[in-house]
Amino acid sequence: MAGLISTNTFWTLWLLVHLMLAVGLLGALTHQAMAVALPARRAAGGIVSRFRAVPAAGYASAVCVLWLLTFIVGSYIYTKYRVQIRIPLEAAHYYKTGGFFDFKEHVAAMGLLLLPAYWYFWKNAQNADYDNARKGVTLVLAAMCWFMFIVGHVLNNARGFAS
Amino acid sequence: MTTTAAAPPRTAAPSSAAPRKLGTFAITFSLFGPVVYCLVQYFNWPLLTYWPATGRLVFGYDGGRSGEGPNMLWYGWILTAILIVTGLSLLATMLPARVTRKIPLALIWILPILMIPYIVYSLMPWWIMAAK
Repeated sequence: MAGLISTNTFWTLWLLVHLMLAVGLLGALTHQAMAVALPARRAAGGIVSRFRAVPAAGYASAVCVLWLLTFIVGSYIYTKYRVQIRIPLEAAHYYKTGGFFDFKEHVAAMGLLLLPAYWYFWKNAQNADYDNARKGVTLVLAAMCWFMFIVGHVLNNARGFAS
Repeated sequence: MTTTAAAPPRTAAPSSAAPRKLGTFAITFSLFGPVVYCLVQYFNWPLLTYWPATGRLVFGYDGGRSGEGPNMLWYGWILTAILIVTGLSLLATMLPARVTRKIPLALIWILPILMIPYIVYSLMPWWIMAAK
């Protein structure tokens, strides 16, 4: 990429890809979490009812793929973060921001490890034995995703690649 | 018209060996995954260590070196955890169905929540520096 775009632009573009994947994941998981937590009895109605009335099982594979892709791209840009973002953050005494980013990395790893059961529970969505576990795992993954999204957003506001 | 968003027809758990083993593998993987990851991080057992400033990759743990910038252990922790959990899950598939059926499925989402206080604790250096 040398000569075409600057190093900062290169990493900012990857960060943008990470963000777009995360937005897709957040949307899919939030729809699904709402559908399992507050299942809509009527498909028609207001925007909230329609938001909850999605065929939740259809989101499972997309969620797994999006989590994986977001994770892979995030892992790639993490190498640059460690040198170009974290060191200046520490120098500027943004310790809470740095701490929450490390928190986010652990949450992302745990979420990744939850995906096999999540996928299996949704693949067997007709199996009543898995109802509670499916609901629990989906809600935990949705909460993880929201947490990571907010931390990533705040971190980018504190110091993005072009800073 | 009334519909239910997530209520397809109900069926029993898979009885044939292949889907049951796949289920046992997936459930065991996710059940132990977060706990094993936290243990790996606690004992600091990365499968590899990476230096982002120089691009150097070393098998196992390697401490900081002068002039090479910071090292990264996170990739190594994840790989170690995946390796251990895959082994545990393969072992679990060899157990009889009457044993694996007894796995409390709720633990799969409860354990990651229970790991949160440990993670917050493991990040104590950050919080101490922030409090100063």
